[in-house]
Amino acid sequence: MRGRGLAAYSLGLYGFIYLPLAVMIAFSFNDARRNVAWKGFTGRWYSSLFHNVELLGALATTLELAAIAAAIATVLGLLSSYAMTRHASFRGRSLYGSLFLVPLMLPEIVIGVSLLSFFVRSRIPLNFWSLAFAHAMIALPYTTNSIRARLLSLKDGRLEEAAMDLGASDWQAFYKITLPLAWPAIFGGALLAFTVSFEDFVTSFFIAGIGIVTMPIKVYSMMKFGVTPEINALGCCLVLATVLLLAAHHFLTGEEESGRI
Amino acid sequence: MKRVLASHLDRGLSWLIRGRDRRASHVLLAPATVWLAVFLVLPLAWLIALSFIRSGPYGSFIWSFNLQNYARALDAKYLPVVLRTLAYAGAATGLCLLLGFPLAYFISFYAGRWKDRLLILLMIPFWTSSLVAIYCWMIILGQEGLLNSLLMTLRLIDEPLNLLNTPFAVILGLAYFYLPFMVLPLYGSLEKIPRNYLEASYDLGAGAFRTFFKVTLPLSLPGVVAGCILTFVPCLGDFLTASFLGGPDSYLLGNLIENQFLMGQDWPFGAALTALLLVCMAGGMALYRRLEAQESWQR
Repeated sequence: MRGRGLAAYSLGLYGFIYLPLAVMIAFSFNDARRNVAWKGFTGRWYSSLFHNVELLGALATTLELAAIAAAIATVLGLLSSYAMTRHASFRGRSLYGSLFLVPLMLPEIVIGVSLLSFFVRSRIPLNFWSLAFAHAMIALPYTTNSIRARLLSLKDGRLEEAAMDLGASDWQAFYKITLPLAWPAIFGGALLAFTVSFEDFVTSFFIAGIGIVTMPIKVYSMMKFGVTPEINALGCCLVLATVLLLAAHHFLTGEEESGRI
Repeated sequence: MKRVLASHLDRGLSWLIRGRDRRASHVLLAPATVWLAVFLVLPLAWLIALSFIRSGPYGSFIWSFNLQNYARALDAKYLPVVLRTLAYAGAATGLCLLLGFPLAYFISFYAGRWKDRLLILLMIPFWTSSLVAIYCWMIILGQEGLLNSLLMTLRLIDEPLNLLNTPFAVILGLAYFYLPFMVLPLYGSLEKIPRNYLEASYDLGAGAFRTFFKVTLPLSLPGVVAGCILTFVPCLGDFLTASFLGGPDSYLLGNLIENQFLMGQDWPFGAALTALLLVCMAGGMALYRRLEAQESWQR
């Protein structure tokens, strides 16, 4: 009985969580400029998005940024998590083990303003590359966590030992055995990193130089003028992209995403 | 020639992989460490240094150590902002706890094989950009928004209510976005409670009510504390929610920091405000660590 009451409550809470998204999705197909009443189905807000050159440019920038940031974060995450899980204990390991989680715990605004003041101070130009490098830093905990978990679960290393008994060098054992086994986690981590960069607004807001417009920055400047059907459609596209990326990650790693905020 | 090169390469890479030499570990860790040093540690160090510098005219810096920026954060002009931020973050955290505890309890004790799916469903809105979540609430709460037009159609009100640009909207927006930060630690600590403790309590004659308050709730306290810290600290630094859902009277610390860096050009003052935020975060984490250590000692 108690369970049923709680179930009803939880259902209600999920309703509360998804209601705003549902409203936005519904109105993105509504044939009226104002988000008040249903006037009929239309796809014109979406088609106007696909004809908006500025927006397509922002999409291209965001995708390039996310791809570069994810690539860097994945390589750095693979190297460091390998050393942390497979090598004998060494000085600095536990220090690094807590350092790489720091970007996850800092309020976003702290990262944004510290990067801004540091870049300006050290005359690092605020351009596409500095933004991509900063995104790689933000995404690093996600790739490292994902790959580290996988390497730990493969830890006993019997397969590698067998390969080496059969004459493989350490490198061959890694390349032929460990890497293929860790591949889903590597790719899954890369997808998370991609999502983090793709969705990032706060850091980009502070350090994107003039002329660098990512998707979230574009959404922000559109929101400054209030609620419009174009933003409804754009918001839906962003939500859809996130859901697809997370689904792909889930499919690859087969683990639930809950444990890591 | 090519084979010699290949065997050298193989030997070098094998040295890295084997890692019996500590230097190999350091080589593998170096790129990520350098990256974090350049893009995280140095910027933070510079920000903290900046907070002790005096700002001169036109955004210039005067290089002398002083605490003036910190004192300014607490003077009459800015103290209300700081206090308001603490109050809003506290209210949002309380709301999250109130809303989130029953949900975490349900997922942990009753959801069975739905656990994972429910947790993922909880996370999806968090993963989408916070801008989108805020925007959704703008649609609902606006003057011509969904809620107002619904209430008007039902003739419950004659004039649209002012829901947007109020403290209510800001606290709601914060609680909405940071809810998973509360639920996940709560869920984690509830999961850790051995179920036979509850059975023992029932066997000894305690009812459901008493078991909850005497056993479940005390054992879930670490999760409560962790959830409160994880919700409260990011709420302190949030500036988007207040700038879209709040009015001029709900200007928060995050907005103040944003203005110092992007408009006001008083970077040292902004740095001091950010450093205060860092102190709150460090304090929260120290508190959590201590509680965690205490708990593991008791077991």
